[in-house]
Amino acid sequence: MSREAYQVPTAVPTPGRDSFQTNLSGDGPAINYLCGDCNAKVPLKRGDPIRCKECGHRVLYKERTKRMVQFEAR
Amino acid sequence: MPPAASSSSSPTDTTWTHEYDTIRRENLFRNPPKDHSAYPALKAAIAPHVESFNALFGKDGLVAQGLLDIGTKTYLDGDDRAGLAGKNKMTIKIKEVFVEKSVLPPTNKFSTRNREILPAECRERHVTYRGKMSAKFEFRINNGDPKEFIRDLGQLPLMLMSNRCHLENNPPAQLVQRKEEAEELGGYFVVNGIEKLIRLLVVNRRNFPMAIERPSFQGRGPTYSKYGMLMRSVRPDQTSQTNILHYLDDGNVTFRFSWRKNEFLVPVMMVMKALVETNDREIFEGLVGFSGSEGSKNTFLTDRVELLLRTYKAYGLYTKSKTRAYLGEKFRVVLGVPDTMSNYDCGTEFLRKIVLVHLGNVNVTEAQDDDKFKMLLFMTRKLYALVAGDCAVDNPDAVQNQEILLGPFLYGMIIKERLEDWVSVQLRLAIRDYLRKSPENSFASPEFLKDFPVKLCGRTNENVGGALEYFMSTGNLVSPTGLDLQQTSGFTVVAEKINFLRFISHFRMVHRGSFFAQLKTTTVRKLLPESWGFLCPVHTPDGSPCGLLNHLAHKCRILTHAVDASAIPKLVAGLGVVNSGSSSTKESVVVQLDGKILGWCTPKQSRAIADTLRYWKVDGTHNVPKEMEICFVPNSHGGQYPGIYMSATPARMIRPVKYLPLDKEDFVGPQEQPFMSIAVTEPEIISGESTHVEQDPTNILSILANMTPFSDFNQSPRNMYQCQMGKQSMGTPGTAIRYRTDNKTYRLQTGQTPIVRAPLHNEYGFDNFPNGMNAVVAVISYTGYDMDDAMIINKSSHERGFGHGTIYKVKKIDLEEGGNKSRSSKNIKKLFGFAPGSEIKAEIKSQIDEDGLPHIGRLLQEGDKICAWHTVTQDVHGNLVNRDGITHFEKYKDSEMAFVEEVRLIGNENGVEPAQAISVKFRIPRSPVIGDKFSSRHGQKGVCSQKWPSIDMPFTESGMQPDTIINPHAFPSRMTIGMFVESLAGKAGALHGLAQDSTPFKFDEQHTAGDYFGHQLMKAGYNYYGNEPMYSGITGEELHADIYIGLVYYQRLRHMVNDKYQVRTTGPVTQLTGQPIKGRKKGGGIRVGEMERDSLLAHGTAFLLQDRLLNCSDYTRSWICKECGTFLSTQPTVSAFASRKKGTGVVRCRKCAHRAEGWSGKGEIWEDGEGQRWVGGEETTIVAVPGVLKYLDVELAAMGIKLKYNVGP
Repeated sequence: MSREAYQVPTAVPTPGRDSFQTNLSGDGPAINYLCGDCNAKVPLKRGDPIRCKECGHRVLYKERTKRMVQFEAR
Repeated sequence: MPPAASSSSSPTDTTWTHEYDTIRRENLFRNPPKDHSAYPALKAAIAPHVESFNALFGKDGLVAQGLLDIGTKTYLDGDDRAGLAGKNKMTIKIKEVFVEKSVLPPTNKFSTRNREILPAECRERHVTYRGKMSAKFEFRINNGDPKEFIRDLGQLPLMLMSNRCHLENNPPAQLVQRKEEAEELGGYFVVNGIEKLIRLLVVNRRNFPMAIERPSFQGRGPTYSKYGMLMRSVRPDQTSQTNILHYLDDGNVTFRFSWRKNEFLVPVMMVMKALVETNDREIFEGLVGFSGSEGSKNTFLTDRVELLLRTYKAYGLYTKSKTRAYLGEKFRVVLGVPDTMSNYDCGTEFLRKIVLVHLGNVNVTEAQDDDKFKMLLFMTRKLYALVAGDCAVDNPDAVQNQEILLGPFLYGMIIKERLEDWVSVQLRLAIRDYLRKSPENSFASPEFLKDFPVKLCGRTNENVGGALEYFMSTGNLVSPTGLDLQQTSGFTVVAEKINFLRFISHFRMVHRGSFFAQLKTTTVRKLLPESWGFLCPVHTPDGSPCGLLNHLAHKCRILTHAVDASAIPKLVAGLGVVNSGSSSTKESVVVQLDGKILGWCTPKQSRAIADTLRYWKVDGTHNVPKEMEICFVPNSHGGQYPGIYMSATPARMIRPVKYLPLDKEDFVGPQEQPFMSIAVTEPEIISGESTHVEQDPTNILSILANMTPFSDFNQSPRNMYQCQMGKQSMGTPGTAIRYRTDNKTYRLQTGQTPIVRAPLHNEYGFDNFPNGMNAVVAVISYTGYDMDDAMIINKSSHERGFGHGTIYKVKKIDLEEGGNKSRSSKNIKKLFGFAPGSEIKAEIKSQIDEDGLPHIGRLLQEGDKICAWHTVTQDVHGNLVNRDGITHFEKYKDSEMAFVEEVRLIGNENGVEPAQAISVKFRIPRSPVIGDKFSSRHGQKGVCSQKWPSIDMPFTESGMQPDTIINPHAFPSRMTIGMFVESLAGKAGALHGLAQDSTPFKFDEQHTAGDYFGHQLMKAGYNYYGNEPMYSGITGEELHADIYIGLVYYQRLRHMVNDKYQVRTTGPVTQLTGQPIKGRKKGGGIRVGEMERDSLLAHGTAFLLQDRLLNCSDYTRSWICKECGTFLSTQPTVSAFASRKKGTGVVRCRKCAHRAEGWSGKGEIWEDGEGQRWVGGEETTIVAVPGVLKYLDVELAAMGIKLKYNVGP
């Protein structure tokens, strides 16, 4: 990996968001998406149908990552 | 900030000037109007598309008209071969077609509030914006009571902003809420998430008998001449049937038509006699005129008419009924009429469907047949006049004899044809199939009545909507009739939104037809004076589509509805038009309306009639519609056939001009314009001759051509180039970029409004879509890096964002690519995310989120993983379980780094399915680099050659540095004086804070532009001529000459080195030859071809040549036998003692070797792979040869040809 690429902060992993190995038994963690129509938060797990729980809209957006995004500006 | 209420209190202002109007625009942008758009001109620009789509459906829509033309179909049961007796008859017709707006399917139970599917959702989900189409059928059996049923006809793609679209009449505020542009125009379709539109096509003018001379007509058969009379006759549903009269050398006339792609020829006399009860005398007088008239003395004509009548005697058909029955008998099979129909009725059907259909195609009355008869007489008369040389040919390449085939009209034609195909072909097959399978049933049996609407129809292919979706997505026309068109593909284009100019141009584009693109002659491409005001003379691409792909002038309208001309026949009768005329045009000329003969009058009367009608038309009295075209063709010597030809039909082009007698707006059409005197400017009006004057000389230019500032100062090809480059510039495609999923979009980050612009810039709202930047340009040869259209950019300007752009790319990752469309949860084979229990590397964990999708905002490099998925199967509980524990990844393949901008999870419209597709938008920042292309608005393109440090740039006395330096050599040969004027105007505008009006044709010799802007500059304390003393940035010395420096609007073009560079020393090669492969994407090379080779040879650069052709290509080291001179017989030796991998390193010639058994001579013994022992063949050596040489050797050997190389020392 080049030095420009994003480096995972090695210190403390953000709780909940980095729990790959812990939550393997079930259908994974519920991750929030945004509804394309009403902008509601839609928590979805692996295999859930793509549909807004509030309005039934069929396009969901992924939220911007909460993790630090840092690039070397040159 | 001004309150939002301002829009609600007073209607949104729609008048614009060339001023900046910054606050007004800001307010419009922040508070989109709630009443209507502030830019009605934009709406008007695409109006032909939307209005013509609106004309399709509804009570009197074109499709409904088409249903009338289709009529009733009759079917009989029982055995096909048996007679008619005892058979049941079923008649069926389509009563009505319904098209609904786009809504969710009823299977979706989740969305209760809002069931509409909006266009934005279709774009985001990469699906088609379509609505349910259904039809009501009526059938009756044996003249019993009619029964009705409704069938679904699939999903029809809908045009945006049409009356079947949710966005129709939405004010900007609501459009913004619905994720559209505030100034969304519609006029296109969304097909698989891509915006597509149907091209406007040029076709022959309808309902007008056009005299043509075509040498190819002679090839139709013996005695056929090159003369013909062509009439493209159009039914009310806009489908057309072309009828042609051919002149035969002996004086006979044949009627030709094409039906279902087959051509048929009928004697014109037969058609005439079938139409009305007539006799030879009536026909003779109809062609020649009454005895004693001028025309009857024309022996050329009378001789031929006599022959025409005489040769027809051979058929022995005298009455109307006999002729019709004869025609009916001959065309029975071709027309596909039912067996029950009599020959006479079949002949009537022939006349209804084929002969001059514009004069009656449904329930044809006797009066209509009489009209057809009269028209045929007129066509024959004009044909004889053409042959005699009394009238000229009509040029089919001139706009005068052309009209526009609007996309939606074509769309309606296809719908009609599909429906007709269903009701005649599909249904017949299904009925035959049904009766064969269940012979116990007849049409009368109750079983059949039950099965027919559901089971039987269900077996047919009813997917009319699907057929149109195919048409929209491919542009291919699948049609049994050909729809009277000359091409079968290329009807649709993608409405690319590279920038707004490009987008809007698509809707004003008129194509001549791809048939003409292959034509070797250039006559069709010529710019003709008839096009004045209808097609822009500037806006056509150069290269292969030049002259075939035109653009409408910005004030040119296309009519989409017929105007009401019902009052005209009475009016002209009142003005002295009589029923019969003579063949001599000196005596009488014809008066026609929409291809119907209203009567005849004297040439003197005709002028008065035309003038009176025109006066009434503009005045708005006597029910003469303003949009009607009154083409008065005066008598002339061998000119166009005289008469008054009026048209009120749709699909015509019209444009506004001022009518001088009333000082009011009039609309003129392309047919009448050549015979009118329209002054271009007020001073050009000639008293007594000019009837009209242009509203504005710029009306002849297209929207884009009007955006070129001071285009009247430029050499004309430069303006053409600008029309090209304006469409290629990186600009602002729109404001709803967030909701768009174009495969590739360009965006200019630092767009500005031009200082120098025409008022139309604001009228069309182009400030909402900035397309370039105002740059301080110095015309100077300063660095040596500005040769040959290179330009230098100030490095500090670049750092401040000059020309900074972005590319957005969207990648749809579909787990079920091309999979079965009818999905249910059982069919799901893959899911996004990591396979549960699989081991995931920390490196991947940092790249992809837990859901298997990329983090938004992440930087991607080549080979990085975008998303993860795994396979699943359903277990007994219906849960989706992964069994293999393998996680698959999708990779980012581009070599350029990108950021993840958006990730969209795409659900299906039933709302039950887990994520099967995502669409990821990547953002690629593209700051200008050396090699990127820029251009001014005057066809002056250049490539950035250096980013020159600010400190080394020259500066003026006020300390200004140029943003851009261009070479003075760019001007003398190109003569783009407009650019100088823009520079001057821009400079003055910037100094005074003015927006400069750059409309062409505003200045003249007395009031020059240079003087006007020069004085502005003087007022600001600058040099009148725009020159300034400048100082070298390197030495600080004053330059010896004053430098022309000013402000020019620069566009950044989308051609960037990063998409184009191609370098290689070594790399992938072709397996077979060992030579480099082709193609930039695959890392291939650029071919050094024959001509390049020649030039290297001529230069004597032998080493370079060898490097290119051998060393960097298929250089191979190969073993060869010096003795026998071949590659093919050498083989490595094998030794039991040498290592398997390395081998012995010794290569021997098998051909020159002998078996070692019983050999007693000298020489070393070697072994081959089979353990055979050999002696000799030692004369091998390594040579450097091209790899293909060995391949050639092998190929030749396969044919039994041996190559022998004489190997040197």
